[in-house]
Amino acid sequence: MIQAQALSKRYGSKTAVDSIDFTVQPGKVTGLLGPNGAGKSTTMRMVVGLDRPTSGSVIVNGKPYREHKAPLREVGVLLDAKAVHTGRSAYNHLLALAATHGIPAGRVREVIELTGLESVARKRVGGFSLGMGQRLGIAAALLGDPATLILDEPINGLDPEGVQWVRHLMRHLAAEGRTVLLSSHLMSEMALTADHLIVLGRGKVIADAPVDAIINSGGRSTTRVRSPRAAELAALLANPAVIITGLEPDVLEVVGLSPAEIGDAAARSGIALHELSALRGSLEEAYMALTQNEVEYRTGGSNDFVAADLATSEPQEAAR
Amino acid sequence: MSTSTLNSVTDASGRPGASVTTRSGLSFVGVLRSEWIKLWSLRSTVWSFALVIVVSVGMALLIALASRLDQSGVAIPPEAQVGYVVTASTVGIFFAQMIVAVLGVMSVTGEYSTGMIKSSLTAVPKRLPMLAAKGVVVFVATYLVGLGSILAAYLMASLVLAQSDISAGLAEPDMLRGLFAGPLFLALIAVFALGMGTVFRSTAGGIATVLGILLVLPIVLGLIPAEWATSASPYLIGNAGPEIVASSGFSEVKEGWQNLLIVLGWVAVSSVLAALLLKRRDA
Repeated sequence: MIQAQALSKRYGSKTAVDSIDFTVQPGKVTGLLGPNGAGKSTTMRMVVGLDRPTSGSVIVNGKPYREHKAPLREVGVLLDAKAVHTGRSAYNHLLALAATHGIPAGRVREVIELTGLESVARKRVGGFSLGMGQRLGIAAALLGDPATLILDEPINGLDPEGVQWVRHLMRHLAAEGRTVLLSSHLMSEMALTADHLIVLGRGKVIADAPVDAIINSGGRSTTRVRSPRAAELAALLANPAVIITGLEPDVLEVVGLSPAEIGDAAARSGIALHELSALRGSLEEAYMALTQNEVEYRTGGSNDFVAADLATSEPQEAAR
Repeated sequence: MSTSTLNSVTDASGRPGASVTTRSGLSFVGVLRSEWIKLWSLRSTVWSFALVIVVSVGMALLIALASRLDQSGVAIPPEAQVGYVVTASTVGIFFAQMIVAVLGVMSVTGEYSTGMIKSSLTAVPKRLPMLAAKGVVVFVATYLVGLGSILAAYLMASLVLAQSDISAGLAEPDMLRGLFAGPLFLALIAVFALGMGTVFRSTAGGIATVLGILLVLPIVLGLIPAEWATSASPYLIGNAGPEIVASSGFSEVKEGWQNLLIVLGWVAVSSVLAALLLKRRDA
């Protein structure tokens, strides 16, 4: 369990993390999501004491990380796949980390096997691909068989099989009752892996809710309608609260009405429908909507859509 | 990645960390072992230490040969013979100090440049035990290699000088001093460099500063025609260091132990600065 209270980090005049509160629960995979510069990595670094909070605090399994007698057994962390000396072999890297805690060499071989690094374990890390570097980072995180895992962009650089493997591993570790916190830019991956999401934007928590709740609240419910008399139907449905987009001459996307309402209206006017499908909101859409106003480096255009409503409509889980 | 590996993931994590005993925990002895593994698992360490031995033996050979030519046909009093052997055996140390200075700096800046420091400080979040362990390991390893290189240099020098009937036993006081103080000098330089490397966190900055303090500062101070410069000169680590190994007779600080204190002072300042900054800064 990770608990942050009014956690802040400022670098000079720049605020990277702005007084955030959150709790990461054991037994599920929690995703930390946010655009670049939102404060994800800084937050993770503060959890393990690499960066000192400007104010506030964060504790892991009941204590500040550095107060634990065996930190590697409490928290396994992958902050950066390149946090390894390039001149050392993977085996020696792990052996050196294990030695600090008196973890036997047998466990080193175990995590090497677990991450599929047997064939390169004796090679120097400098020649590793990004994917192998990630596997080594994950091996290091698992060394102490920790109750809590923190992984920053763990699938970065992995091939599809590796991605699947990480997803499988994260779910497995969470199912064992461990606390798993991971960050990723790939929202689709989060939808598959995470149970719970903490969305950061410009150093603040803008959403903290189960994945399903975020998808449902953030994604506009859109209905796709295909009809040979699409233009007529559009005129019929027109209403200030309804947004209708014509994609093709015979296809409309309707926001603000349910499929039932659209179908009934069409039936009343005897308009034939060739397709009537509800498009479920995707995590991508929800995420874009949430972070629209929070992106630090925006490419242009503006959209004040729902970010503010969402922050209030999705009540943050109270810290337990 | 094969399916069999995927299966083994499930199997192995199904009984996670079977071999991680509940007794395992962070300890200073563990951190020492970790730093020892780190030091010796880099090729650069092996190469550097090999170079220390090569330089020591090579310089012993050169000086011994030169002394032999110098003294051909003249009988030499025993005290002077000891002088020749000690000089030939220890002269390499002064060149080797540059190698161990680079090694000391890089033992920590190599971690910063590769990002390894993040792994190290995550494993030892209190940080200072890691720095202390690095200091102990660098000191011990350098001392042992220094001792070996001086012994090898002594053998080489004795072998060559014996042909000119020059010899000195290892038990001669001056020879014993060289044998034990030479490695001490090297090891202290390495620890001083480790501290400066921690302060600068960059290989280039650390090496430039350490070599500047060791080799350039004494020359610069020597060129300043002021009384303060002359009186400050013996207190430089670059001047006091070699005086530990053998008194030159030129320094105003005559006693070896006084020079040792001066060097220890520099090492202490470097280490304390390193500790303060390591503790305070974000990694």
